[in-house]
Amino acid sequence: MVAFLKGFFQKFMAKLFAKKGSVKLGLYGPPNGGKSTLANRICKDWLGEEFTKVSKIAHETREIKLKENIIIKNSDGKELAFNVVDTPGIATKIDYEDFIKAGMKKTVAKRRAKEATKGVIESIKWLDDMEAVVVVLDSTQDPYSQVNITTIGNLAARKIPVLIAGNKIDLKKSSIKKIKSAFPQYNIIGISAKHGNNIEELYNELFRLVK
Amino acid sequence: MPHQCVRCGKLYDNTAQEILKGCSCGARLFFFIRKEKLKEAKEMTVKLTDDQKNELEKDVLDLIGKEERKQDQPVILDFESIRVLKPGKYELDLVHLFKKEPLVFKLADGKYMIDVEATFNAFRKK
Repeated sequence: MVAFLKGFFQKFMAKLFAKKGSVKLGLYGPPNGGKSTLANRICKDWLGEEFTKVSKIAHETREIKLKENIIIKNSDGKELAFNVVDTPGIATKIDYEDFIKAGMKKTVAKRRAKEATKGVIESIKWLDDMEAVVVVLDSTQDPYSQVNITTIGNLAARKIPVLIAGNKIDLKKSSIKKIKSAFPQYNIIGISAKHGNNIEELYNELFRLVK
Repeated sequence: MPHQCVRCGKLYDNTAQEILKGCSCGARLFFFIRKEKLKEAKEMTVKLTDDQKNELEKDVLDLIGKEERKQDQPVILDFESIRVLKPGKYELDLVHLFKKEPLVFKLADGKYMIDVEATFNAFRKK
């Protein structure tokens, strides 16, 4: 009887103090929007280390990358644990000749194209596992693209909370206004993942997103 | 003639026995061709070299991750999620991919490959 009560008490205490599960946060969007740069920014800010490789050539991330248990604090001092998932860029066309133009050898370029195609499939397969998604868009580019509209539309259909990060606001051509007019029903934050501009605001929005 | 064998590309009429029994090449997977696409399918010329065709097929098998498995029953599919125009050139239909429909790879010379495992998983989830 004593052993039973002891076990019950231990279980009760464990449940009481069990850490709330981490929120699985996916970074989605077209290639070269800055998903990996944002993943690195988050990891640098809260873990003090970089997470993944970034490149100017599109489709650098061709596999799903997961960093678990990143504790993020908002401006009120509240803490939330996130599992950040960096995903390969979603594209409708992948052409090895684009990589050759960027200076790659033919065989390497073809392999990259194949892996990038696989990456798109993987990104989409993982979508259902996400509890919240940040769609990272390059704010210097036209937001009215098939990739953006299809991705954001599908997230809404799956009832996954979405925050749009208009990245690269440090660049002259950047226009958050255009993103806002393309997706008026969404919360949009202009950031520079590379330089950290407005990143606090993004963290605060993440808390509102998963509330 | 709206059915095409996914392996050899042979076209069959709606009422053809082969659709039920399997193609003369042994495959039991058929691609349904919409009437408006029939002309395009027939005209599809083989502009690729044999090496390119082999490379393309190898790439898609690699993408799928395994050899295409045979099935007892014929399967007819009328959508394609990924077009492989040439080795290293891909076109992806995001609408199909997001719907989690089976992965159908369309190869440039009229051949198709289907990710059977993804197909089963998609149906299992339903």
